Amino acid sequence: MRKRVLCLRLKIVKMSSAMKIKGVVMMVLGWAVPGLGHLAQKKYVRGAVFFGCIAAMTALGFAHGGRIYPFQTENPLTILAFFADIGNGLLYLLSRFIPVGVGDLKLATFEFGTAYIAGAGLLNFLIALDAYDIAAGTKS
Amino acid sequence: MIFRSHLLSMILYAAFVAIVLSFLRRDEKKSGLKYGLVMFAVMVGGAILFGWLMYLFTL
Repeated sequence: MRKRVLCLRLKIVKMSSAMKIKGVVMMVLGWAVPGLGHLAQKKYVRGAVFFGCIAAMTALGFAHGGRIYPFQTENPLTILAFFADIGNGLLYLLSRFIPVGVGDLKLATFEFGTAYIAGAGLLNFLIALDAYDIAAGTKS
Repeated sequence: MIFRSHLLSMILYAAFVAIVLSFLRRDEKKSGLKYGLVMFAVMVGGAILFGWLMYLFTL
């Protein structure tokens, strides 16, 4: 266990500032467009799978009538939804300017749609962190 | 409204999450496939089990 901790520490020490910057750039790319951080690092299959899954989940969320929540304090629970939704990157930013993800409360599938969009955002956070790990050399 | 069945929507959701997590957590194909299938089974099985558990409160 101690040996493993020492190895991890060595890895952190070995990480140069250039690698850190590259990692942050890849993470931002991965956040902006799902899978782009992997594609930029020549992980084509992974990048394509991530993009396909996240895009499909988001599209299904919209088709179900789901909503992308802005930051609002009237209902505290929607703050959590907001943090999940910003994981969708550019799509979240676009939704602030064009009418996508406005949600349709009348539909029986509204909750499912919202869960699809929030789930896609949360998964995209993990994908962006994975892109950072690959760029930083802590993962292959 | 594409899916009138909530069960189908939940199964599809679990499938997407299992695929993404298997690619994130495992590098090898075989172990990734196994991990993804286990994740999918746990999510779908768990949701059905929890659904029946909630049904008990309606009796």
